[in-house]
Formats: sequence, structure tokens, C-alpha cells
Amino acid sequence: MLTYRFKDNLIYRLHPLTQMVFVSVVFVLALIFSHPVYLLGLLISVWAVILAAGSLKEWKSYIRFSLLMAALIVLINVFFSRAGSTIIYQGPGLPLIGSLEVSLEAIAYGLGMSLRLLVIISIFCFYSCAIDPDKALRLFSRMGGKSVLAITLSARLFPLMIKDFRRITEIQRCRGVNLSSGSWWERARNSIPIISIMLLSSLERSMQLAESMYARGYGSGPRSCYERYFWRPRDRFIIVLTMIALLTGIWSAWQGWSSFSYYPVLQPIEHPEVIGAIIIASVLLLPAILNWGWMKWPALKSRI
Amino acid sequence: MAGIKIQDLNYCYPETIKPALNRINLEVSEGQLLIITGNSGSGKSTLLRAISGLIPAFYNGNLTGKIYLNGIDTAQIDRRQMVQEVGMVFQNPESQLVMMNVEQEIAFGLENLGLPAQIIKRRIMEISSSLGISSYLGHNVSELSGGQKQKVALAAVLAMHPGILLLDEPTSQLDPVAAEELLNVIRRLNEDHGTTVIMIEQRLERCCHLADRILVMENGVISADIKTGNRAGVMWPPRVSVTYLPPLPGLFARAGFQELPLTVKQGRQMIKAILAAGIKPDLSLGDFGDLSGKPGEALLEITDLWYSYPNSTDEVLKNLSLTVKEGDFIAIMGENGAGKTTLLKNLNGLLRPRRGKVFLDGQDTREMAVEELAPSIAYLSQDPNDFLFMPTVREEIAFTLKNLNLQEDGYSETMLYKFKLDTYTNCNPRDLSTGERQRVALASVLASKPRLLLLDEPTRGLDYQLKEELGRLLEEINRQGTTVVMVTHDVDFAAEYARDICLMFDGEVIELGDKYKVLQHATFYSPQVARLFHKIADNVINVADGVVVLQELTHSIRQDAVSFW
Repeated sequence: MLTYRFKDNLIYRLHPLTQMVFVSVVFVLALIFSHPVYLLGLLISVWAVILAAGSLKEWKSYIRFSLLMAALIVLINVFFSRAGSTIIYQGPGLPLIGSLEVSLEAIAYGLGMSLRLLVIISIFCFYSCAIDPDKALRLFSRMGGKSVLAITLSARLFPLMIKDFRRITEIQRCRGVNLSSGSWWERARNSIPIISIMLLSSLERSMQLAESMYARGYGSGPRSCYERYFWRPRDRFIIVLTMIALLTGIWSAWQGWSSFSYYPVLQPIEHPEVIGAIIIASVLLLPAILNWGWMKWPALKSRI
Repeated sequence: MAGIKIQDLNYCYPETIKPALNRINLEVSEGQLLIITGNSGSGKSTLLRAISGLIPAFYNGNLTGKIYLNGIDTAQIDRRQMVQEVGMVFQNPESQLVMMNVEQEIAFGLENLGLPAQIIKRRIMEISSSLGISSYLGHNVSELSGGQKQKVALAAVLAMHPGILLLDEPTSQLDPVAAEELLNVIRRLNEDHGTTVIMIEQRLERCCHLADRILVMENGVISADIKTGNRAGVMWPPRVSVTYLPPLPGLFARAGFQELPLTVKQGRQMIKAILAAGIKPDLSLGDFGDLSGKPGEALLEITDLWYSYPNSTDEVLKNLSLTVKEGDFIAIMGENGAGKTTLLKNLNGLLRPRRGKVFLDGQDTREMAVEELAPSIAYLSQDPNDFLFMPTVREEIAFTLKNLNLQEDGYSETMLYKFKLDTYTNCNPRDLSTGERQRVALASVLASKPRLLLLDEPTRGLDYQLKEELGRLLEEINRQGTTVVMVTHDVDFAAEYARDICLMFDGEVIELGDKYKVLQHATFYSPQVARLFHKIADNVINVADGVVVLQELTHSIRQDAVSFW
């Protein structure tokens, strides 16, 4: 939630609704598809959009962690899956597992699942880097007034509490509270003063906040909603094309193209599936393409 | 027609018997700028909340009497209407902002009123241009400085177009520059838009020249209602304590004057008038010589200290060398970002020098943990609430001793007595007033009998009386052998109590020396009293000096008159 930093490009300047629709469509498609070609297509387009948004650095740190996870998935699958028929390695017998059999299908299945994981992690990375949490929240504020306000308030108070925590820790250390040595348990016990001060101060602060809200008429009647996000042609393009991607995805799933059977032998990859994947991937590439054009041609900037 | 009219107002907070407001009668005409002052607990904030309707609506409690806004009883006005008549800005900028983003914050109140987006947009545009906050309209609130936050809070209230603006010590958490800026905005509102302003302020020197009227409150009653206006000074009723007065009029009051100047300009005119009437005596006080007394051993030695924060290339401290001798009382002054607080944290081990060394008694502090330094170096920061969490004052003080593995030897009892806390030993420190809380925090860090006391902005949010009490306490502690180093923006406080002044600028020590030498001919960093006697009398920088000179002046006039007759 705290990773959002504004960057000046088209992706960051999209209407929050467009951003949210893009994220949710990619997420839903990643869940629908198990076909590696579709997943690969999704990964490429999400990657391109992240690249266009200038969030590659953050993405890399996410990916480093998820590659580890992916390796783990592949390994576990290889060890425990017995369904594959193309054995490429016959190992010695191991306790509990039995004899080690590595099949091509099991590796492929692990890789396919990792691909899905990468797509989901990537879209999550895009969500947390490129979408202003405040804006995203306000999208829903029309629906649930109070709960959205509560979330906004906590988002506002969070950095404040981190500051409080640092300051109070420093002060209590100067009073001889030892937080740098001793066992885990001792340190936890020694941090009780800090936690209780934060609690007391937060209670006092929440009372003052409530007073300030009351003094500005909160709860005096129905509220209106002010937002100042512009709806531009680019938002329309992207939403329409994202919807096309979603419909194509659903249609592919309807046709049974989007699923893939790994066992007992890998299913052959056929033309209609590849075409479907290419359509979805290229349609979802639109934000990245628009961003590129937006940077390249000043004339386009004002048109879209 | 009066803007506000209050008739026989009494109020008790829930579950209390003692009235917080006692038979208040007050009329404020439209467009007045009124300042309310008085000790904490005198009912100032309560009065403001009663006018705004927060009392009794938000606080409950028992209210009798009437308040009229433009002739209409406030009890008859519905809340939505009320918040558009009366706007209220609170003391602490952190705890009155609700949204994450500045623009949304300003919109918040307008949304609460159910105004259409088009009008909200228009109001945001107007208010942000007129308060000069357009440049950070899209910013997150957490990125702003204290002064900017307070301006946003003001904008959020003004966007609702209140005819009456109430402010509860709006500048108390701000540094002098930011406070000045905010007060200018408030004055402009009052002058250009005719907004009625009622403001609680402890530091009258910042704002009393702006006021049309000053109210003094004591124990829930208005004890003085002073008209300012265009005369040379104000008439201060002799029965009202002079502790509410800023240094300048306080000086004249203590010297026995009836009419008190509010600004240095007025004060100088008064002195010039007296001088013109009689012969000019030699007013300069003698050179006090070296006030630092016994030279003392070096307690803390800082050599070639450099510091920059991690993840930043800015050098906050640059090649700083400084020696603090045993028994010193040094005030460190300088603008925001000069590195004052960073320096303090390098002294008590919270930060480690990047280059250079800090020696405590000849021992390199880089080899000592914060916890090891804690028994010798005590640290009091701005907000006493950051210290207090124990259920009683006694336990709060015992907590420090326990942490530092020290034995209770009866010292804390004498300290409680000295700090006038002996009657509160079994009270919860959080239930005490601001000044008392600060004294508990101070007592709790002094319990270990440290050799060095570091203070960061100790006078922030304190009224004159509390400042004076704190100053005397620090003098006493210092006299008993504790070395004191304090960071402060408060020139008058430094001139009054410190012995040496250290001026910092951009990470360097620009000057360190006796306060008379440093402050006397300063321009920005010069106390009001020094400015008053500039080129009239030398070596006068604090109230005590000023009283001597003023009395000598009036005395010489009287003698002059006697010899004439």
C-alpha cells in the first residue's frame, strides 16, 4: 500500500476505473486459463504494461521472490506426481516417496502452474505500484460510505503511526529501555511501553479526529461525492479492448481451448488456441502501445 | 447587530461538578478579531467549543444560557447550517486531517454538506489560490510540513464559507516562521473578507498587534476584556496577572507602567518620549564579563562531526566541532533543517557520527550503546505524551530507575516536591495538564541524576507562566550541577535562562558564546527586549535587565522633576 509513487506516464494517468478493470480482467483470465500458451500471452502483455509504466525495478524484486516459489512448485510436483507417462529419469528408491520418477509431463505441469503464478504476482505488482490506493478506494466510496472512510482513515494514520513508533522507540531507549539486546522474549517484553504509549496516543488522536470530522459536518445528512478524474478517449479504448480480451477468454474457455491436459501425455498445441492467445495478448498490450505513442508523438498526447 | 452574543453561559463537562464556564457574557461584533488568552484549564477551549456548537452536541454535559449568532439562538440552528456559519481549526494539524490527499481533505467538509461536485471544484480552486496551497493540492498529507498541514486544515474549514472562524491555538505546534505565515493568512481573512475571528493564543507576542480585543480567562470566567485599537499601547487592568503578558508588555508592567506597548515600535516610542522629557541618563548595563562562571572541565567534546542520513546524500552536519563544559547551559538555535535535532541525537547515541567523534568524559561514544549512555545523558523531547504510560506519576519515575538498574535513594521524592508534583504522585500522568505532564516527563528523565540534560523544543505549546516555571526549574537543575543543552526556536526563552547561545546554520556552528555577545546586536535572532533597547541601552536582552533599565529611566525622570521644582 505504501509502494505507490506517482510516475509521469500514460499508465499512471489512466482513470482509476480503467486501471482496476485491466487488473481484474487479467486476474480473472489467469484463473480461467490453464493452457500455457494463453498464460504466456498474458504474462507477456502484463510484463509489457509494467515496463511501459516504468515499474520494472519493483517487478524484478517481486519476480525474484516468485521464481523461488516457482522452482519450489516444479520440484514438489516432480517429486510427488506419478501421472506422467514419459519418464525421463528413473532415480533410486527413497523412503516415504518410493522410487523417484521424473516425468516430462510433471515438469511441464509445474512450469505451467509457475507461469500462472508469475502472471498473478505480476498483476499484483502492477496493482500495488501503479494504482493510487486513495483513488482506488474512492471508486468504491459511492457504495460503502462509512467503511471506505474507515479504510481511508487508517491509510492516512498508518504513516503517522510509523513515525510515532520510531520517535517513541528513540525516547524510551534514552530512558534505558533496552531493545537492542537480550532474547526475543525480553525484547518483546521491553517494547510494551512503546506499544502502550502508541495505543494511548492513538486513542487521544482518534477522539480529536472525530471532533474535527464532526465540526466539519460529517454525518449531518447525505453526503455527495467529489472526484476529479477525467475520462479520456484512451480510457474508452482500453476498457473496450480489455472487454474484448475478457470475452475472447470466456469464449475460448467455452470452446474448451483454454484448458490443457498435461497427463498422461502432453496434449498437442493447436491453431485455434494459439490464435486465441495471440488475440488476447495483443489486445491487452494496448496500454503499453498507447503509452509508447503518447511518449513518442506529442500530437497523440492531446488526442488521446 | 452583533455577530455573536453570549448570555449567562454556564457549562459543566459530563460527570464533573466544577463549572468549566461560569456566567459568561460576551458580545463580539461582526468582523472583529478577538484573541483569548489564559492558563490551561481556564475555559478558553471550552468557550470556543460552545460557540461552535461542539458543546454540548459532541461533548454532552450540562449547558445553560444562550448563544446567539446574528440574533438567532444556536440551539435552533441545525448542524448542517451551523458548520457553515462557524468554522473551527484545532491545535494539532496531525489530528484534524482525515483524508490522504490535500484536495480530498478540502473536499471532505463540502461532501459532508452534500454539495454538488461542480461547486466543490469551484470552492477548492478559490480557497487553494487564496491561501497559496495550489502547488501541493495533489500531494499526500503525510508529505507536508507542519505549517503546510495547518494551512490545509484552515483551507478545509474556509471552503465551507463560515462567517465566523474559531481557532484553538493554531500556531502552538509550529515553528516561528510557519506561525507567522499562518497568522498573516488569518489577518488577511479578517481584513479583506471581514471574517469574524476568535483565536486562542498563548503567545501574545506573535499576534496581539493583530487583535481588536484581547480577552483573559481565569477559572471559567472572563477576567479582563482589553480593547487594543490604534493607541500607543493597551491599558492592562492591574488586577490581572502579568504572567499572561508577552515579554515586552510584561516588562513595562513589571516596571510599574499602566499603559503597555504591544509592539517593539510602540515600546520604543514610549521610551523615546520619556527620554525626550528629561535628561538622558546612562542606561547601559555594565558588561557582565564571562557569565559562564567557573570554567569547568570539558564534559562533551565533539570533533569534526559529519552526519548524513542513510539513503540521502545531504550532509546534515558538516565538520562540526563543539565543546560543552561541565555546568554549561547552552541554547542551540537556528532555522528548520539547520541540523539541531540531528546534533542532539548524535550526542546521545541515537545516531552515530559518519565521520568525527563525540567524547563523553574523554570516552568515545561510538563504542557505547544508547542504553549505556542513558544514565549520563537524559533526553527530553517536544511531546511529553511520548514518555508517559504508567498508571501513576510515582511509577513513571520509578520506571526509569528500574531500567537503568539504579536504586531509589529518596532523590525522586525531593524531585517530585521541587517539581510541584508531590500532590499528584498517585495520579495518572495522562490526566494532568500540559505543563504538569511535561514536568513529570522531565522528572522521569532526571531521576537517574544525569550529568547532561538534552532538551528539544521544550517550550513548544507552553504559555508564559509554564515557560517561566520551566525556565526556573532548568536554572535550578543547572545550578545543582547538571549541564543543560537545549534546542529551541524561542529567542526570548533562550535570552532569559540560557548562559551561552550556539547558532547553527546549514549543519555548521556559526557562533557560540555568551548570550549577551551573541544576541545583543542580532537582527533575526534577537529577543524583543534587546530590540526595544537597541541603541538606547547596551547589554539588555532579558526581562530582568529591561526592568532595571526601565526603572532607572522612570526614576531619573522623577528625580529630574524634583530638581526642577
